[in-house]
Amino acid sequence: MSSSLSKIPPGVQYIFDTEVRFRRWVERQVMDVFDGWSYSEIVLPIFDYADLFALGMGKIQAEMTYRFTGRDGKMLALRPEMTSLVARTVATRFRDRHRPIRLSYSGEVFRWDEPRPARQHEFHQIGLEHVGSDRLEADTEVLIIAIEALQRVGIEGFTITLGHVDFIQGIAERLGLNQDACRQMYSIVDRKETEEFDLFLTPYAGENTRESLCRLTTLAGKKEILEEAKSLVTNDRSRSALDDLSRVYAIAEAIGIDEHIDIDLGDVGGLDYYTGLTFKIYAPRLGAALGSGGRYDNLLSQFGRSEPAVGFSLWLDWLAQLSASRNTAPGMGTGNISTLEAAGDLASVFKEASRLRALGTRVEIV
Amino acid sequence: MSLITIALAKGRLQDASLDLFGKAGISIPQDLLDSRRLLLEDTSGRYSFVFVKPGDVPVYVEYGVADVGICGRDVLIESAADVHEPLDLRFGYCKLVLASRPETAALGYNPLVATRVATKYPRVTADYFQRHGVPIELIGLSGSVELAAVLGLAHHIVDLVETGRTLRDNGLVVVDTIAESTARLIVNRASYHLKRIAVMALIQLLREAVRTVAQAETSQPEPIPAMD
Repeated sequence: MSSSLSKIPPGVQYIFDTEVRFRRWVERQVMDVFDGWSYSEIVLPIFDYADLFALGMGKIQAEMTYRFTGRDGKMLALRPEMTSLVARTVATRFRDRHRPIRLSYSGEVFRWDEPRPARQHEFHQIGLEHVGSDRLEADTEVLIIAIEALQRVGIEGFTITLGHVDFIQGIAERLGLNQDACRQMYSIVDRKETEEFDLFLTPYAGENTRESLCRLTTLAGKKEILEEAKSLVTNDRSRSALDDLSRVYAIAEAIGIDEHIDIDLGDVGGLDYYTGLTFKIYAPRLGAALGSGGRYDNLLSQFGRSEPAVGFSLWLDWLAQLSASRNTAPGMGTGNISTLEAAGDLASVFKEASRLRALGTRVEIV
Repeated sequence: MSLITIALAKGRLQDASLDLFGKAGISIPQDLLDSRRLLLEDTSGRYSFVFVKPGDVPVYVEYGVADVGICGRDVLIESAADVHEPLDLRFGYCKLVLASRPETAALGYNPLVATRVATKYPRVTADYFQRHGVPIELIGLSGSVELAAVLGLAHHIVDLVETGRTLRDNGLVVVDTIAESTARLIVNRASYHLKRIAVMALIQLLREAVRTVAQAETSQPEPIPAMD
């Protein structure tokens, strides 16, 4: 075979045999959980206008798309994510539908990216969007659905970190930071550079305030973090974020899923996109997040209709890799296969095969 | 099974890293250190150590096969690894500099001509010149980078400088300091949450050890080093 035929572009996947069977099982479980919470599946186009994704993801992120020119000369892009497609649909074709709208999706997305943990150029995203409610019950609902989905597919020992963009933004406002200083602060907090953060805060705050702010943004933990934060932070925006987190945490405690939740007040990832509660999902044996989500109340207005929304997505590739159900999932064994020899009277062979198929038996013609 | 896996950089930072762990009460038996085993447990059995090339530390940590690691900030910014960086360990100080022969340095870099730059730090170098709007031709080398400037393979080099002696001995001068570097403790983002209690305890132990070292240094001034 010539080298150009055996060569595979970086980041693409070929999946076969039991791996496919298992991924389909995982996908069905997750979609079944979503269906159980009344999310209806939407099938979305593989490509759309590149501008749409730039509007949804922001220009820098949209540069990661695979782009090509359509017959009409317009720039198209393979979908790098699903949320923009969902948001546009909701803002246009579902304009008159009753709110909230609950939609789920499952499919491949495509991004050009440098080699990094848990990132392929092509990977399968499963997720949902809850549009039209700015209430805490919507946030709580998607969080609980995420946990149910992870449990259903056999992800063990996972932790969901809960953050809130208003916590750190309230602090930035209070300190009166300009845009550049904000960006610098978010980058320091994102990497949990404790001493750098203390240095950064020196012109703005006294030693005690600095010490507690450093601790709060670099420590993660359970609800004691929220209690401590409440006693230290006085601005309204941060306090209201802490109230939201406390209420969600209290519900998690009441239904007994708080062991899976870690509060991370220093989570500043995706700050230009998310507007409220954010979460990231971690599990042993994967160095990066296998899913993430949060509230994004500004996206829909990009598509001409301002309304609140919250959602999350999971990477099927990592769910399948980390699942403990690989050997126990129904249908994963070869099961009973009836072998029929294609010899002699073919009509009677296939007649027998059809009879067995009607009984639900797997057949193999040899 | 130990709780935390730690990646340490072989070479320049290895002894100082082990010293710091020693001060934090975490030590590896000498016979293990002398052996050729790649994965070593400390005496408490709570920590596993792996020794890898400095540039590989961020890789091991970012992928989560090591929960934490120690590497220079120079290596860290070159790798652009997406990790937490909670502690400056204050040892292994050095600088990433732009250097050249004095006659080239006197000219500055001419932005109208493609400057040829040799380095082991291609990402840092490209970022630096991009920030200054200067087009460059980048030559990736894996060692003895100074030689590139001496022999005229490149107009400039970007390299790590501890004392500046190698540069001086080869007749090169520093044009600009790009970044300062010390050893950093880095932590995998997933481990930070999944092993939170053990990771926090380790950070605290090391933070106190760094503080103890700093206090010892201020109370007992070091002898003036001999001129090199």
